[in-house]
Amino acid sequence: MNDTHPSIEHIVEFLHGELSPAEDAAIHAHLGGCSECERKRSEELAIIEALRRYGNATAREMPAWLPSKIRTAAAQSRPGAWQRLVAGFRPMVMIPAAAAVGLAVYIGYHNWHHATAPTPINAAYYVNNHAAMAASAPFGDAAPPLTLTSDDAPR
Amino acid sequence: MEQQAFLERAIEQYGKATYNFAYRLTGNDADASDLTQEAFIRVFRAWQSFKPGTSFLSWIYRIVTNLHRDELRRRKGRFYQEEIPERAVAPIEDYVEAHLSEPVSKALAGLTPEQRKIVLLADVEGCSYQEIGQIVGCSVGTVRSRLHRARGQLRKLVNSNMKSSSS
Repeated sequence: MNDTHPSIEHIVEFLHGELSPAEDAAIHAHLGGCSECERKRSEELAIIEALRRYGNATAREMPAWLPSKIRTAAAQSRPGAWQRLVAGFRPMVMIPAAAAVGLAVYIGYHNWHHATAPTPINAAYYVNNHAAMAASAPFGDAAPPLTLTSDDAPR
Repeated sequence: MEQQAFLERAIEQYGKATYNFAYRLTGNDADASDLTQEAFIRVFRAWQSFKPGTSFLSWIYRIVTNLHRDELRRRKGRFYQEEIPERAVAPIEDYVEAHLSEPVSKALAGLTPEQRKIVLLADVEGCSYQEIGQIVGCSVGTVRSRLHRARGQLRKLVNSNMKSSSS
C-alpha cells in the first residue's frame, strides 16, 4: 500500500480478511473517504459474489452410486498378505537391514580370523640366539636367570 | 473395522464437498466422479496418517488437486468442460443464479488449471491463504502472488465477457 491509495491486491486481501488488524483498519478508514478506492472495492466484491453464486449454481449432490463404488474399490485396494510381506522389503527397511547384516558379517569374520591359532614360532632359533648372547655377555641385562624357580613364574 | 468406519464417516461428511470441488476443477461429471473415488481410496489407504485436529477437508482437497495435476500432465491438456447444465425442472432461483454467474463461469474456463484452482479455493470454497498453501503445497506468499495474477486475468475475462454479452 502506498501513502495515498491501497493497491488492488491489498483491497482483495482486505475482502478476503487476510490483512493484519492494523492494515485492515487503515484500509477500512481509507475506503470511507475515497470514492475511487470504494469503487474498486465494489468491483472486486462483485467478482467474489459472482464466484460464490457460480459455486451455488454448480453445487450438486454426489451421484448416488458413487459411495458404493468407492467402498468396493477401497475393499479391493486393501493389500493382501503377500503384498504386505513384499511391502516389508521396501528400501527404507532393506537398506538399514543390509547394512546391519554386512556389519555383522565383517565383525564375525574379523573375530574369527584373529581367533585362529597363532603363527608358529621357530623356538629353536630364539633358544640358540639367546644362548649365544648369554655366552658372550653372561651378566648382561638380556641374560636370563640361570635357573627358573616357581617364584619366577608370572602371576 | 476402524479403517472402514473412517472411510464411511469421511464419505458421509465430506463426499459432497469433495465431489463439488472435483467437479469445479474438471468441469464434468465423469472426471469428477473418478477424481472423488481415487481421492477416497487414497484416504482409505492412508487413514492412519491423518492427524486428528487438523482439517480433513484441506487434506482431501490436497489429494484431489494432486490427482488433478497428475491427470492433466498425463492427458497433456485440459479436461472436457461442460456448460452449467440447465436442470429439467430448475427452481427459478437456480435459473437466475446460473445466468447471473455465466460470465464468471466462462471467465473461469478461460483461466489456466492452476489459476482456476487458486481462485476456486479462495472465492468459492472460502479457504484462507494458509489453507490454500497447505492444499496446493506452497507458501502463503506464493498463494498471494498466484491469486493476484489469477484475479487480474479473471477481471479481464469477466469484463470482456460482460461487454460481449451486453452488446
